[in-house]
Amino acid sequence: MLRIESLTARLGGFTLRVDELEAARGEYLVVLGPSGVGKTVLINVVAGFIAPEEGRVLIDGRDATRLPPEERGVALVPQDYGLFPHMSVYDNIAYGLRMRGLPRAEVDRRVRETAGLLGISHLLRRRPSTLSGGERQRAALARAIAVEPRLILLDEPLSALDPRLRASALELLRGLHSRLGFTALHVTHSLLEALLLADRIGYMEGGRLVYTGTPGDFLSTGYAAPYLEEARRLSQALSRLGAGP
Amino acid sequence: MSRLRGAEPFLVAAAALGSAAVLFIFVPLAALFLLLDPGALAEVASRQPYAPEVAAAFATTFTASGLSTALVAAAGVPLGYLLARRDFAGKALVESLVDIPLMLPHVVAGIMLLVAYGRRGLLPLGIEDTFWGVVAVMAFVSAPIMVDTAKAGFASVDESLERVARSLGATPGRAFLTVTLPLASRSILAGAILSWARALSEVGALLIVAYYPKTVNILVLEYFNAYGLRFAVALAAPLAALAIALFAALRVVVRGAKD
Repeated sequence: MLRIESLTARLGGFTLRVDELEAARGEYLVVLGPSGVGKTVLINVVAGFIAPEEGRVLIDGRDATRLPPEERGVALVPQDYGLFPHMSVYDNIAYGLRMRGLPRAEVDRRVRETAGLLGISHLLRRRPSTLSGGERQRAALARAIAVEPRLILLDEPLSALDPRLRASALELLRGLHSRLGFTALHVTHSLLEALLLADRIGYMEGGRLVYTGTPGDFLSTGYAAPYLEEARRLSQALSRLGAGP
Repeated sequence: MSRLRGAEPFLVAAAALGSAAVLFIFVPLAALFLLLDPGALAEVASRQPYAPEVAAAFATTFTASGLSTALVAAAGVPLGYLLARRDFAGKALVESLVDIPLMLPHVVAGIMLLVAYGRRGLLPLGIEDTFWGVVAVMAFVSAPIMVDTAKAGFASVDESLERVARSLGATPGRAFLTVTLPLASRSILAGAILSWARALSEVGALLIVAYYPKTVNILVLEYFNAYGLRFAVALAAPLAALAIALFAALRVVVRGAKD
């Protein structure tokens, strides 16, 4: 579904290198790495906003390296959700469907269906500025899912949520994925997100993709060590305070 | 914000100086309307020989400033977009160049337009004493305002919104029309109002490039010299009222943008 081959992309002084990265149809790929490591650049290369200097991006078996973003069939959910502030939630979800020239009745049917799936049917007439963080995230996901994209690109989709909402949003993403079976490229700095969501994990360091594998295998690599160390400390601190597992 | 407290000398001093500034601006405004003689107003509005030339001057002023604003918006909005969104060679130079008319003395701007587009100019378009000369002067002095406000408006639209629109299937043009332009529209409208007000207020460059066809500003100057203050006020007050109305419209637009 998504395949990246010997890619080099430059943005200002930053260089992104990915020798090989692949996500099969329906696979949930999480690329993990600390902030500033180039995860958003990777998303923008796949979406078509940054042209690579070398290498290829294949989407659905087709070489998309030179395709403009609107012809790639990917839906982007940026970190701050990117809801259009001058449109209602309904018009936000309908946007991609209208751009595809679907008839009005079909647009309406799919907007309502997707909103129902995400539990935001009661919010369709609201403006994004009146929504809570969790509602915004659902609206942004609905907008991306409504167009039935080949690939959904999720840029730190949970990092703007407080911990309480993050847990339910994780469940929401898992549920949506198992129900709809879309292919996803999700970038994050959270190991928890990666472990709970990913079929496959990629790890980035200093602008390079240095590892890909299953979540289980990832945990036995050195890259996982700092995350596990932090988790161990958290667990120690919790048990010291009598709140541990 | 905190309410002024009597005991703070700094705030008292600031309030005193501030009040002086407010009064300095308010008194001339009040004086203009207080001194307005209804008789003189009726005379310039309806009697020969004034009425026809006053009507013509208002018509010239409105059509020329309206055209100038439309032209400046048509070229300035795309330029503002490019300056806000793209990096290109010589961008800083373009930005400085566009703002130069703001810094120029108006008479100098008039001379420059004359040597550029006058009959014997570099590009001999013969703008002297023509309607298009008036439009050219107004456009020259108001273009920087339009470009700068449009640029600020576009810059305030989060680029990730355009990216989302593109990824959802919008071409660059449709993303611009459905997302970027609506979100920048208040800035563009504010820029157009400010440009219009600037076009209406120009006189220095007009004296040099296009005394004819006469605009209201030129006529105010003429009436002041030929018939005295009473007639100058009768012409100036309606113009001031118009400018204030424009300003009120601008406030409404800008306040709406904050909501």
